[in-house]
Amino acid sequence: MSLEAKRRIIFILGLLFLTSLVFVQWMEVTRKREEAGLSAAHVAVPASSKGCVDCHAENSPGIVAHWKGSTHAEKGVACFECHQAQQGEADAFSHYGQTIATVVTPMDCSRCHVTEGEEFAHSHHAKAANILASLDNLLAETVEGSREPFNPHSPTLGREMAAQVNGLASVNSGCQQCHGGRVALLDKDGKPVTNLDLKPGSDGKPTNAEALGRVARDAKGKPMLDSKTWPNTGIGRINLDGSLGSCAACHSRHDFSPRRARQPENCGKCHLGPDHPQEEIYNESKHGVAYRDLRDKMNLDAKDWVLGKDYSAAPTCATCHMSGNMRNGGKTTHDPGERISWTNRPPVSLVMDTDAQHGVVKEADPEKRRGLIVDTWQQKRQRMTDTCMHCHSPDYVNNFYKQYDDLVRLYNEKFGKPGLAIMAAMKKNGLLSEKDFDEKVEWSWYLIWHHEGRRARHGASMMAPDYTHWHGMFEVAERWYTEFIPEIREIIETAKKDGKKEAAEAAGKVVEEIMGRAEHKWPEEFKKGK
Amino acid sequence: MISPIAWLKERIPVDGDQLAELSNEPVPNHLKRWWFALGGTPAYLFVVQIVTGILLAFYYEPSPRTAYGSVQYITDTAAYGWYFRSVHKWGATLMIAAVILHQMRVFFTGAYRKPREINWMIGMCLLVCTLMAGFTGYSLVYEQLSYWGTTVGANISGSVPVVGPFMRDMMLGGEAYNERTLSRLFIVHAAILPALMVGLIVVHIALIRLQGVTEFQFKDEPADKPKHFPFFPDHLYTELSIGLVLMIVLSALATILPATLGPRADPLSTPEVIKPEWFFYVTFRWLKLFSGTFAILSSGFIAFTMFIWPFIDGWIRRKSKFQEASVAIGILAVLAIIGLTVWEAAVAH
Amino acid sequence: MSEETPQEDGQPTPPPSSPAGEPAPDNWLVGDSAPPAEIPAPAPANQADPEPAPAWNAPEPVAEAEPPALPEAIDRRSFLSRASSIAMGAGLVGSYGVFAAMAGRFLYPAHPPLKGWLFVIEVAAMKPGASLTYTAPDGATIAVARQGLTGQVGDFIALSSTCPHLGCKVHWEGQNQRFFCPCHNGAFDPSGKATAGPPKEAGQSLGRYPLRIDGGLLYIEVPLEGLPGPEEA
Repeated sequence: MSLEAKRRIIFILGLLFLTSLVFVQWMEVTRKREEAGLSAAHVAVPASSKGCVDCHAENSPGIVAHWKGSTHAEKGVACFECHQAQQGEADAFSHYGQTIATVVTPMDCSRCHVTEGEEFAHSHHAKAANILASLDNLLAETVEGSREPFNPHSPTLGREMAAQVNGLASVNSGCQQCHGGRVALLDKDGKPVTNLDLKPGSDGKPTNAEALGRVARDAKGKPMLDSKTWPNTGIGRINLDGSLGSCAACHSRHDFSPRRARQPENCGKCHLGPDHPQEEIYNESKHGVAYRDLRDKMNLDAKDWVLGKDYSAAPTCATCHMSGNMRNGGKTTHDPGERISWTNRPPVSLVMDTDAQHGVVKEADPEKRRGLIVDTWQQKRQRMTDTCMHCHSPDYVNNFYKQYDDLVRLYNEKFGKPGLAIMAAMKKNGLLSEKDFDEKVEWSWYLIWHHEGRRARHGASMMAPDYTHWHGMFEVAERWYTEFIPEIREIIETAKKDGKKEAAEAAGKVVEEIMGRAEHKWPEEFKKGK
Repeated sequence: MISPIAWLKERIPVDGDQLAELSNEPVPNHLKRWWFALGGTPAYLFVVQIVTGILLAFYYEPSPRTAYGSVQYITDTAAYGWYFRSVHKWGATLMIAAVILHQMRVFFTGAYRKPREINWMIGMCLLVCTLMAGFTGYSLVYEQLSYWGTTVGANISGSVPVVGPFMRDMMLGGEAYNERTLSRLFIVHAAILPALMVGLIVVHIALIRLQGVTEFQFKDEPADKPKHFPFFPDHLYTELSIGLVLMIVLSALATILPATLGPRADPLSTPEVIKPEWFFYVTFRWLKLFSGTFAILSSGFIAFTMFIWPFIDGWIRRKSKFQEASVAIGILAVLAIIGLTVWEAAVAH
Repeated sequence: MSEETPQEDGQPTPPPSSPAGEPAPDNWLVGDSAPPAEIPAPAPANQADPEPAPAWNAPEPVAEAEPPALPEAIDRRSFLSRASSIAMGAGLVGSYGVFAAMAGRFLYPAHPPLKGWLFVIEVAAMKPGASLTYTAPDGATIAVARQGLTGQVGDFIALSSTCPHLGCKVHWEGQNQRFFCPCHNGAFDPSGKATAGPPKEAGQSLGRYPLRIDGGLLYIEVPLEGLPGPEEA
């Protein structure tokens, strides 16, 4: 082979080698581009929490791992920034040289998340613990449990148990885990010390030194939280610093994931079950079906998660009730009541005209009423309509609202208001005791409005036909005609026989007036063969 | 004013013409046939390994805590790290293959015969060094298979009678794999073996240069043609072409089959299937075939026989009429090696 | 393989140039596997070959075989030869050059020093005139001071608290509006410029860190990684 040929061969081989190297570079560039979005942001532990992380990475690695995946970690907000406390706070203690507290409250979070804190504080969510004095609580405290601890009647084989049975166990593990309990420290006698004793000022520090002095501390100086009240991430938790709520109710610690709060399962921790099956209703609706199908198109990790911009695949609870959308300028609210026009919680649904304290206005006088209302139900409905219109036409939305209003009015007028009137007449005339749940008919009425009636109204509000009808209005009617009214009539008959003629007639008049109305007359007419 | 070249010549008194003369080796014509250039191939690959090895050593950290992470850094983060690591890995594979092919060529052409016995033995030393470099290099990755490969390899050395435990302790820096093992394997891989090989290669080539390349004449060449051709530039071009072909092959292998990274070494759990690198399949299968001491002693005996083969061959040729017994023996040995390698490759255990 | 077997004769044959070489019709190669022992190994090239054999080191053997070329043919040939030499050189330099450049890129740090914006404090929690010490993840201490009322980022300044003179820690003196180093009475104005002491003589200033306000929160840009101090190792 001539030298000339060899030179040419070398030239060609050189070009081939060069080509292979260009290919290598192309692969490198492609690889880097693919990895660019995937690699996790670099997390540096801020100096303030270096000690915490070093130790807790060994002792409770899950907490540290969750935190490391959070936006907090990316931005240099770590253990100390949230758990820091000041000397003089009721639950502050010294932990390896730093003053911290176990329970992080909305007061702590809102040092940075100011707007979110304010919106949440106004919301019905923050007041969820008001249930602690309600009918529902009566059920858990007295009917299911016992207001006072009581002695067990036989030993528990194989286990030494505390001397007395905690009659409020169902309240502690049930009601309060959703609604929130009143966080308590233990005093030296094992009695709770709460915000009611500590009387915290606006900075959250207790003003009652005597109560603070009563708080018991363990060998390391750490105050002891009452196990009946902690752990608790109920959304209306009443904290020792006087603040209401728990941000971790939706934004689970310690990654505080907005992603999770955007998913319906997160709300479903509490919004489910026989009395308000919102999660089941959502699952039944076309909204929920679309969400399950298109979950991977929901862009749940988007920073702002604005409907119409970041995603449009399907709505979740958060989409309609809280999150920002294109039509409202992307404004998220932490008060889910801002877009709700009916409250279907009470026996009779009320429109959501709210006052300065964000409470529902119940004033009947139109003049006074106008003076009290700060935010009308129409304004709230308009906000929701704006959300709907990202995917639906105005006529569609308006007609849907007519269907919804019609169902609410049907329930209100045929069962809600009459039921309330009958129960009021029975109590007024002494045919039922003032207290609830001691007579069978009181259970029947409770099931009608609190379970079945709500299911019907909620079902209609979120487009779940089966919950509106079979789990809702059908069961309302069944209980009304086969239990509630027969039980009421029986009590009245019995009263007549027992000589309470006057009272029985007064109550009976109310009942029969209602049952003689056009919408209730059908059984009579059927019997007459009409 | 003194010219820079004159200035330099004054300080480095080397005669350029003499240097050219010295290095311009007369190359026998048979080397125009490409398959006789197999000796240059491992030498070229050796240079590739030195270059890529130095690059990788910039980031590699030889300690059990950091080794795997640093290999991961090279593979995932450093620019072109995956490429240089893959080239280094495939360079090793090709180099071992080239060394073996070169050795087979030398063997079957009888090129080791008098007076080139010593160069054969130096070549054997280079083979052993290359294999050891392959073994230590793989162990540095500190993934599951490399960790357990090293452990098994060390324990095989440990079972050699008398000197075994000493060899194992020297290799691992203790009775078992420990904190200091990787740094010692690294120094062997990246300093001792390369230095040793550079020395051996220099002697290997110097001996070839002094003794001349074994010359063959092909019958299709006219007898009156020149018997040699110049190293510069003719043979250099050949070697440059081979070098480029090797670079293309390495780049292709690196992009099509890049070096992977298995799970990190776990000293508490042995993987279900453990295998050494392919060039140890023969030994591995041999050790499985025979029981402990015999397997090891017989391996050693075979290696020793290969080492002194030129003398055995000379003895056979002097004492018997089977002048080319080596060819038959060689064919049998190659078949045995291929057989054992394929056997080991085909089965899991 | 077997085709390449050397000639099967018991003794090493003389070099092929010797007339003793017998034709071996069934062997395609003749020659020695080793030169005769009594003859020294093939002499280095500078010892003249006894025979006037064709020069092995003739620059272009091919050229010899050709008849003397015409001047323009020589020109064409030399042009071609030069062109192919340049092409070969370019191919070699280009390909190995790119390889070397990639090696250079491999050795250059894979990414710029890793920095991040980290939370310092809520703007509202820091009154004008107040200062605090922020410790970066790499352990560097940074004096953050608020000097204005506007609530904008210009109110704040973040200075390395290490005195450029001998490495002591400076602190902010609100009443004197200066950073003060207790070691040699070095003083710095609110922007970090030296106003007294040894640093002033040397014209040194305190190092500054970038700050940012986002949603009422003050963030600082600091290195995210550094070598651990002795107590962490």
